[in-house]
Amino acid sequence: MADNNVYIRKIILSVLGFLLLIFSGISFYKHRHLEEHVVLGEGVTEVKKLSDYFDGVKGTINDCNIYILEGKEPGATLFVMGASHPEEPAGRLAPWIFVENGVMEKGRLIVVLSANRSGTTVTRLGGGYPPDYTIPTGWGEQKFRMGDRWANPLDQWPDPEVYIHYPSRQNLAYVDIRNLNRAWPGRPNGTLTEKTCYAFMELIRKEKVDIFIDLHEAELQYPVISTIVAHEKGHELAAVVSMVLTDMGEFNMGMEYSPKSLHGLSHREVGDFSDAISLLFEAPEPFLDATRGKTTREQLLTGKDEFIVKAGEHGLLFEKIDENGWPIDVRVGRHTSAVLMTMEIWTEEHPDMSLVCINVPGYAEVIENGIGYYLKDPFRANPERVIIE
Amino acid sequence: MKGLSKLMVVAVIFPFLFLLLFSSVLAQEKAAADIKAELPVLLTSCGQSPGPIQLKAIMTVKRYNVNIVPVLSLFATADTLIALKNAGNPVKTIIIVTGASLKGMGAAGISIKDELERTEKLIAEANKQGILVIGAHIEGLDRRIMGAAEGDNSDELSIDAVCPKSGLLLVRKDGNPDGRFTTISKNKEIPMIEFEKNADLTDILNNLFKKK
Repeated sequence: MADNNVYIRKIILSVLGFLLLIFSGISFYKHRHLEEHVVLGEGVTEVKKLSDYFDGVKGTINDCNIYILEGKEPGATLFVMGASHPEEPAGRLAPWIFVENGVMEKGRLIVVLSANRSGTTVTRLGGGYPPDYTIPTGWGEQKFRMGDRWANPLDQWPDPEVYIHYPSRQNLAYVDIRNLNRAWPGRPNGTLTEKTCYAFMELIRKEKVDIFIDLHEAELQYPVISTIVAHEKGHELAAVVSMVLTDMGEFNMGMEYSPKSLHGLSHREVGDFSDAISLLFEAPEPFLDATRGKTTREQLLTGKDEFIVKAGEHGLLFEKIDENGWPIDVRVGRHTSAVLMTMEIWTEEHPDMSLVCINVPGYAEVIENGIGYYLKDPFRANPERVIIE
Repeated sequence: MKGLSKLMVVAVIFPFLFLLLFSSVLAQEKAAADIKAELPVLLTSCGQSPGPIQLKAIMTVKRYNVNIVPVLSLFATADTLIALKNAGNPVKTIIIVTGASLKGMGAAGISIKDELERTEKLIAEANKQGILVIGAHIEGLDRRIMGAAEGDNSDELSIDAVCPKSGLLLVRKDGNPDGRFTTISKNKEIPMIEFEKNADLTDILNNLFKKK
């Protein structure tokens, strides 16, 4: 009788485990294969693949789309990168608005929406993150993949005991071998993440990029927040952009130096290994804070969290927060305004190498209308102008 | 009668105190307006925040229309001043931007203690050469203890190392919500120019360096 009970318990647990495997497997599969539509705006003149610059990433999940917006008149080349860290959605949605709306009057804009595409197919393991989020639009809802800071272990595994960065040989956290923003400048015979960085470096060199901007979000308990981190080649540009944005009174934007001895980060290595000025923009994202409450889609999009507000009351934060949180529209608006201001300031100082972009909303407009207002309906667009991201 | 005398005391003392404070502020503002700075000007930092880069940008980029070319030396020492003097190009004004950046100091492999020691010697040599020292705080609360990690008082240490020993203070208003710079200005009788926005520095610098 006792033996029968043991067998029954084993069978029940096995069935429950199998069901868990089935349902979680379906969830993981749906997340990894969620199709995101991009409607190419009238300003997009060409869509390339990352493998066009380095065939070592061809056929891999990181062979992402490269959107090129060629200006009506020549000028400088600006490269805006989104989803270096795919768990920071404002860093992905802001360039999305450029691709679907932007038109370059002068100069050239290159945009990437999924720099670490592998990282867009997984969330923090064991973190209970939502696999996706939706943005309301005038024509319905658009669903996006929520991602992780690191590439999916399905695409790059196993991690080493110690990650030795190439070429500096600096020791970094083992898991950061899958972190795109710890693998710059990459190498052609390295891991998937290193190959991806190398491919982007090839893009930057071959397209003669003048300014490179890496869009991020940061937790409020991290001191490098609401700021521009600048390579020394971009100090003056970042200084003026931060001062003008702050003077305008819409939001505060600081500036920090890119440390010369901290390796693997885009703001350091892109500047060191190419002719481009490299900048990294940080917006606040309460979702990333360790002291957050429920890890939900609502928290991700509203940035509201009473526990983080409480942390602020104890002086533990580097950015303000109140009951209004940090809505996604505010975070995206910060990024679009900061990119547009970079073009404006650059053009003032380099009139013969201008960057002029129209039809992209700034901070106030994004907040007033919402991001969804600027997302196009892929099912009513010309199918030839719709791309799967 | 007792209530009336209290009322009279209040009526006399409060306007007197107000006038005293107001006249003190006016005197500092007038004194600040009277100060003339000469070129060449050396820009440096105490705490390695990006403030000197921002100030240099205001002096040099077209948008701000200041058109001064400063000597930027983030790690300027007493020896820098001596070397420039010996080279026949003596510095006439130093602007030391206060506020600490752990990223900036970490990148340079130095601590706030190193910065304080360097600044002390720099100001001593400046005084010896009769150089005008201007203490500046232009990055708001980001470079005050209120915007720093708990227990990190390096911003305040850099302010203490520079501002009470300066001949003029340039302070962005949002970095002075507690009146810290106003108190230093008043107690040490150091003229102070307070401004709302970084763009306001255009007129301030033009007046400071170019008036006859």
